Amino acid sequence: MKTRLFILSAFSLVLILFPETYGQDQKQNYGRTPDEMVPFGRFQKAYVNFFDTPQEFTGAGREKPAPTNLKTIKIGVLGPFEGSPLVPQGRQMLQGTMLALEEANKKGGYHGIPFEILVHNDVGLWGAAANEVVKMNDAGAWAFLGTIDDINSHVALRVALKLEIPMINTSDPDPTFTETRIPWMIRCMSDDRQSCYALVNYVYEQKGYKRVAVIRANNRYGRVGTAEFKDGAERIGHPTILEVRFDDGETNFKTQLERIKTLSPDAVLIWGNATESALILNQMREMGMNQPAFASDRVVSPEFLRIAGKNAEGIITTCQYNPDADIPELKAFQQNYRKRFNQEPDVFAAHAYDGMNITIEAIKKAGLNRALIRDVLTDMKTFQGYQGITGKIIFDASWNDIGDIWQAEVKNGKFVFFPTAFK
Amino acid sequence: MKTTNLKHLLITALVFVFFWAADFEIFCQGTGGSFKPAPVPTYGNWKSYSKKNGLPADKAYCVRIDGNRVWVGTSAGLALFENGTWKTYTVDDGLAHNHVISIDVSELSGDLWIGTMGGVSQLSAGKFVTYTQFNSGLANDVIYSIVCDGKDIWAATGGGASHYDTYTREWEIYTERNAPMHEPWTYGVCASEEKVYIAAWGGGVIEQDKKTKRFRDHVDPDGEMEIDLFPDDGVVHDITTAVSYADDILWVATYFGLSRYDGTRWKGFFDHDSGLASNFINNLRAIGPVVFLCTDKGLSSFNGESWVTYKKDENGTSGKVIYRKGDDITENTAPTAIAHNFVIGVDVKGDDIWVATSKGVSHGTKIK
Repeated sequence: MKTRLFILSAFSLVLILFPETYGQDQKQNYGRTPDEMVPFGRFQKAYVNFFDTPQEFTGAGREKPAPTNLKTIKIGVLGPFEGSPLVPQGRQMLQGTMLALEEANKKGGYHGIPFEILVHNDVGLWGAAANEVVKMNDAGAWAFLGTIDDINSHVALRVALKLEIPMINTSDPDPTFTETRIPWMIRCMSDDRQSCYALVNYVYEQKGYKRVAVIRANNRYGRVGTAEFKDGAERIGHPTILEVRFDDGETNFKTQLERIKTLSPDAVLIWGNATESALILNQMREMGMNQPAFASDRVVSPEFLRIAGKNAEGIITTCQYNPDADIPELKAFQQNYRKRFNQEPDVFAAHAYDGMNITIEAIKKAGLNRALIRDVLTDMKTFQGYQGITGKIIFDASWNDIGDIWQAEVKNGKFVFFPTAFK
Repeated sequence: MKTTNLKHLLITALVFVFFWAADFEIFCQGTGGSFKPAPVPTYGNWKSYSKKNGLPADKAYCVRIDGNRVWVGTSAGLALFENGTWKTYTVDDGLAHNHVISIDVSELSGDLWIGTMGGVSQLSAGKFVTYTQFNSGLANDVIYSIVCDGKDIWAATGGGASHYDTYTREWEIYTERNAPMHEPWTYGVCASEEKVYIAAWGGGVIEQDKKTKRFRDHVDPDGEMEIDLFPDDGVVHDITTAVSYADDILWVATYFGLSRYDGTRWKGFFDHDSGLASNFINNLRAIGPVVFLCTDKGLSSFNGESWVTYKKDENGTSGKVIYRKGDDITENTAPTAIAHNFVIGVDVKGDDIWVATSKGVSHGTKIK
């Protein structure tokens, strides 16, 4: 009897001290989806789960020898650099990549050959991003980073597969971007699925609100971005009570807000760019709508604070970056960035810095062969748990970053960041 | 009492016959419209071509048989195989771009329509005419699929689907603004007598009735990207890569499996429940009752009932042919094989099959 008790106690102690010995076998839902939010989870088991394992690349190309006599090692950066409302974000993204590249070149580049950025604007005629990736390929890029707008990211991704060029996304939170099974891309930033799960948890579970209205941008960013919030809310028993839309550039939201006001929701979720979100918040308060407001990560910007002013107080968002995180490399990055660009780095700059560092490291490890660079980027080992300035990057089987995400609340005119309860 | 019993018996028998007939009909339609589909032919005697023996590049994106000639789109130009030798056309000859990713031949004019990564080239009477976003109604310059349908040319691009009427020389563009697509990204197009089908990335399949010009979309009913809830409820995934129509059947390729639509019912096929070599289907082409599937793990062919898959041994030149019907699987070794298991394009005419792969193009002939 004593022996059995001893064995049982010893076994329990092992489990307590080394939880990973049994934890590894615990299967996590795709995209860290909480059990109660798994699609159809309460009613029907899916016939196929598509993202249980990473998609392999079985094509040729690994045998190609590295070229000689290169003067630079080219890496493309695709983004909104001209003619788009996203130019400020695009500029930050580009600057983040530039800083990483310049630092790598100071350390000797690639075996003494400097890295070079090929800058390509994704704004233009229909599907411009596709043509730009072709140009990058023609110019000899070994990989490329980009982009922010989800339409352009998808268009570029399809060309990346055809041309077999690694694509590293650092700025597009569209969940469907990595749900394409194209084995030539990774994303080192949390997506809107993670944001929405965090918001659902906070709004409904922690705050206890039940009736939430949504006002969102009438574009793909608004539609896809809020989809997981609405699905999640519905699956936990609190379907959103109303969804109204607005166009980019719109300044008067009274028609939409009147509809929301009539329903007296417990809270309002705003999903759009910083300017429109700030104007919506201002008009809500003017109309006497004092409901708690929640928003997408795009409001985490000086522009939002400037336009919303005092009305910004108390708004809560998610954010894929915590500028106050206690990471020594982050402090150095922020300092160097300010010095180099005379500007405070934002989420786009920080993730782009991480993305470029990963790309450079992959090229250094794999050599000048795109298929081998792809292998290193996607092997789920080399960069799994990569400690970037934005935190630890954890890839799931679709190469989406499901690492930690933060929330931010405006307090005394500043964003104050805190970890989400959603784990 | 006896009359009533007899009536009941007759009614029961009639009901039984009715449902038996209905079931039989369903079964027939579910297997291709005929009780016994035509057998899937077996090909062999493979001969491969790469940069070493005449092709301008190892990577072959597409292939089209044109009478006694064979056109191959590669990453370094358009290759023509005629009388046993290869000839290459590049931008220096007037080709729009050296990455040639789709080809079709007009049965009306004999012209070759070439989809490149820099626009469309029309090879007519030995001369190239180039169409781009800047001089035509092309939605984008990366042409994933091009199809000649009588006088009409259809091109699938990431910026929308473009239609060109070669008689009136007018262009039309279809995007999410004038068709039921979620986004303007289109990656495959094919035509039947009555309809045009477009593979819309994220939007399933869009069909346009040629007479009425009306659109209808076919999407995955579960609406989720990460799962397929039921395999036979619609297209298996909204991210579609190619479409092909033949013998009253629409076949839809995705990176998640295969879908078959007979005009009434959808059926899904996956690598775990069928003879499909892989769920990752780069392209497909239906010829009569047989569909040829270009996957990242070999070439599969299927007639709705039986599968034949061709693979190359990883370490050698020999190959294997895998037959599957239901749960019966037979694997035979073959002395020759396709050039590479990453298959991107295919065409079949008569007893000849040509396969474009990641490492060259292969020619096989029917052996069974």
